[in-house]
Amino acid sequence: MFEAEQQADLFPYKEGKVCFMQKKRKMTLERRHNLTGWAFLSIGVILICWTSFYPMIQAFILSLKSGLGVNLKFNGFSNYARILKDPTFKGTLFNTFFYLIIQVPIMLTLALILASILNNKDLRFKGLWRTCIFLPCATSLVSYSMIFRSLFANDGFVNTVLRAVGANPIMWFSNAWTARAVIIIALIWRWTGYNMVFYLSGLQNIEYSVYEAARIDGATPRQILFKITIPLLKPTILLTTITSTNGTLQLFDESLNLTNGGPGKSTMTMSHYIYNTSFVQSPNFGYAAAMSIVILVMVAVLALIQMKVGDER
Amino acid sequence: MKLKKAMACMLAGAMVLSMGAVLPAAASEDDNTLTVWTWDPNFNIYAINKAAEIYAKDHEGFKVEVTEIKSDAIEAKITTAVNAGDLSTLPDIFLMQDNSFQKYATFYPDVFTDLTDSGIDFSQFSEAKVAYSTLDGVNYGVPFDNGAVVNAVRTDLIEQAGYTVDDFTDITWSDYMEKAKVVLEKTGLPMLTAQAGSPDVIMMMLQSCGASLFNEDGTGNIADNEVLKKCVEIYAQMVADGTLVEVTDWDQYISSLNSSTVASTFNGCWILASIQAAEDQSGKWAITNMPRLDDVDSATNYSNNGGSSWAISSNCAKTELAVDFLKATFAGSTELYDDIISKGALATWAPAGESDAYNVPVDFYGGDTIYAKIVDFATKTPSNTTGAFYYDARDAVGIALSNITQTGADVDSELQTAQETLEFTMGA
Amino acid sequence: MNKGKKAAMYIFLTICSLFSVFPLYYMACAATNKSVDVSRGKLIPGTYLVENFKTLIANQDLSRALWNSFRNATVLTLICLLVCSLAGYGFEIYHDKGKDIVFAILLTAMMVPFAAIMIPLFRMFSKLKMVNTMAAFMLPSISTPFMIMMFRQASRSFPHDIIEAARLDGLSEIGIFFRMFIPTMKSTYAAALIITFMNAWNNYMWPKVILQTNSSITMPMLVANLLSGYVVDYGMLMLGVLICTIPTVVIFFFFQKSFAEGITGAVK
Repeated sequence: MFEAEQQADLFPYKEGKVCFMQKKRKMTLERRHNLTGWAFLSIGVILICWTSFYPMIQAFILSLKSGLGVNLKFNGFSNYARILKDPTFKGTLFNTFFYLIIQVPIMLTLALILASILNNKDLRFKGLWRTCIFLPCATSLVSYSMIFRSLFANDGFVNTVLRAVGANPIMWFSNAWTARAVIIIALIWRWTGYNMVFYLSGLQNIEYSVYEAARIDGATPRQILFKITIPLLKPTILLTTITSTNGTLQLFDESLNLTNGGPGKSTMTMSHYIYNTSFVQSPNFGYAAAMSIVILVMVAVLALIQMKVGDER
Repeated sequence: MKLKKAMACMLAGAMVLSMGAVLPAAASEDDNTLTVWTWDPNFNIYAINKAAEIYAKDHEGFKVEVTEIKSDAIEAKITTAVNAGDLSTLPDIFLMQDNSFQKYATFYPDVFTDLTDSGIDFSQFSEAKVAYSTLDGVNYGVPFDNGAVVNAVRTDLIEQAGYTVDDFTDITWSDYMEKAKVVLEKTGLPMLTAQAGSPDVIMMMLQSCGASLFNEDGTGNIADNEVLKKCVEIYAQMVADGTLVEVTDWDQYISSLNSSTVASTFNGCWILASIQAAEDQSGKWAITNMPRLDDVDSATNYSNNGGSSWAISSNCAKTELAVDFLKATFAGSTELYDDIISKGALATWAPAGESDAYNVPVDFYGGDTIYAKIVDFATKTPSNTTGAFYYDARDAVGIALSNITQTGADVDSELQTAQETLEFTMGA
Repeated sequence: MNKGKKAAMYIFLTICSLFSVFPLYYMACAATNKSVDVSRGKLIPGTYLVENFKTLIANQDLSRALWNSFRNATVLTLICLLVCSLAGYGFEIYHDKGKDIVFAILLTAMMVPFAAIMIPLFRMFSKLKMVNTMAAFMLPSISTPFMIMMFRQASRSFPHDIIEAARLDGLSEIGIFFRMFIPTMKSTYAAALIITFMNAWNNYMWPKVILQTNSSITMPMLVANLLSGYVVDYGMLMLGVLICTIPTVVIFFFFQKSFAEGITGAVK
């Protein structure tokens, strides 16, 4: 039965006479096909609905309530109005987008370059290079923040090197811009290897012979990168761009552990502010929820744009 | 295929095993056991276990089950539990930082058991300390460790500038700042180091005058707070003089103490344990009181920073046992305090200070009887209003402070901004 | 490739590797030094490793934390890979308008900051009396839009003619998934495994809230505990951090070969 359907599907227009019959069969096949698909994705989708969407709806309801502690009252969209009046939120919004614009392109480009070098067949000690570059993302967030803090401390390693080469030491964490620079450097250090893993695994799905052929045709590495690697890696690049954007807009641990938002609040991210509003300052869950919904909308819009640009089948 | 089947079996097995595993509930079922949340094995956990040991002598079979949880995690768990409307996950007893206590007592009073009429004699604790865990006349906590401010001075370094500890005892800030300049000139070292962005120093100065960031009625008092303005100006001036160096974080602050790059520090007395970690500096340190503000009537040489208090959760089914336990130990056992002094945990319970253990000379500080001294400091510390928004106010001041010292911003306008930030939070 | 370019390539790799490894060298050194020396910024390996280890195991239940973390991360990773690859495969291979829309909606689930849904999530599990259970710890991370998206993107390179051929051979749809898709997508699975294991291993916020007993301590919680006192023993702390890092590195080293020589058995 199944096989017959299969064949019908493979040769749908072979004979005009049975076309009607086949159409009917095809419908049931399509339905069946469709249902199988839903069965495949059901567990995953149900779990996400249960552990993400349901709490998200709760968070949205919460965002319509205002008050401190447990004395919350429905207050319409007053929390959203409050966001517009909050200078701290604007500051954190700026910081977050600053990280996004500088860090994500640098990191993804670097990861792509490293992955294409490491994918080279003739490269020696591949495992070593790969492991070295991946190592940073194995470190837990608490520890890498500690390490970077001490490296960039006033008497830290970086300033020692600067002094040794005759440059002036920099008080990295005392100035808003240098502190932001440290966060960006730390982010690049930590996440480049992570993204490289996706590119490497993506590159495996491209046949090596494509490269061989290109090389025989005298293509330069630059041409290979732009004409072969990037187009073929498009799904992976889209994936990493969306997740990095998403990750950066939700940046939390680095802001908390590395600079604690300082100096002042000049390096604090939106998520850090949300966390503080809920758990560190006087608890204002309604407001925190409203800010999360705003982040959600921003990320969703960005993801939509990226999908539109990158997801042409 | 065999491999896949094995994998599937393993998976299923692991799922069943791990998913089904229900871990024991937080509050203990056993009649003679209390569950406790606290942090720091060398300090709080040691103390509570010691207390249980002492209590068990008269109460056979009594024990505590301690879960080690970082203080901010305890706070996050309480917040989560209250907001989820499920207090059943809370332990019988938990420890809370004094700085957070008012916030929780105000917003989540349901978490605590009222200890006002529990029979614990709160008058035996220093008044300033009890104030942290008291709200509207209701006692929510039993005071534990002491955060009395000590001024720890490197005698060998100030000697190079021609000073002794006495020159730094009972002095005013203006005097202190001049002497600090001499120390800087003679040794090349700053008098103080402070964690950038942290208003700890300012808060200690404020409390030494009994002043606070709040008015009596609970409203914010930052913009027009003359005492605060004075403190900020002193701090900024010292940064400008180079006699106070701001370091990036706590680790760097500790490092400056251990690696002899600073001549002194003042902080809650718990800082002594970190100072003592540098064993090779034994005998080079001395303890005295902090400077007092000039021209402020209420100014003293004593203040407080940090410390924590024990609370009994409302989830505790054995309230009587828990109260009796705390009463007999942290509010009634010199034996306990004599023992935990070895860990640097100093009592705020007055009778403990009279014990012999507090009069033992300590070689690290040149043979001084520092413990008795600290207990004495603690009793002289003025109390101030903290309130539910203590953290928010403190945070706002910290930001103002870092703008003032880092970018030379105007003190008045920064404090005005801080006041507005605080009011924005309070106006929710 | 000419020699100059080759040399440039190796130099670039060396610089990147040094940049990556140096901070970790710093950490490893600190783990072998006394706390005071770490504070003083000593940059060469010391001889205090054993003492640091002794203090660590005296203070913390290291073996339990290691075992818990390992068990949690392994079980979670296996279930997550299965569920997410099934879903990703389903979305791509059987894609139609309806599924594409569902997928787009799913993506929004990864865009909410965790701090915002933590309390509703906790409330949900506490109503179900599931606080302190492994299930409550795992459920929110089993199915993630990110992993589903990763498998969906990877399925795109899985040729439809293989599926058609397999169908002709009489293989069931689920059979195609297990017998054709999984072996072909080794490199994707390896990458997904590394990433999921790493995230599960380093997860801190959620377990901290949902698991409340000493017996359920994980490595990141242990490291956080090391930082909690009035006095921090930096040597011991860095050793804890080092031990916390090693398993993820080992896992990476173990599975990286799959996407290094992934061509074997790959799609032709």
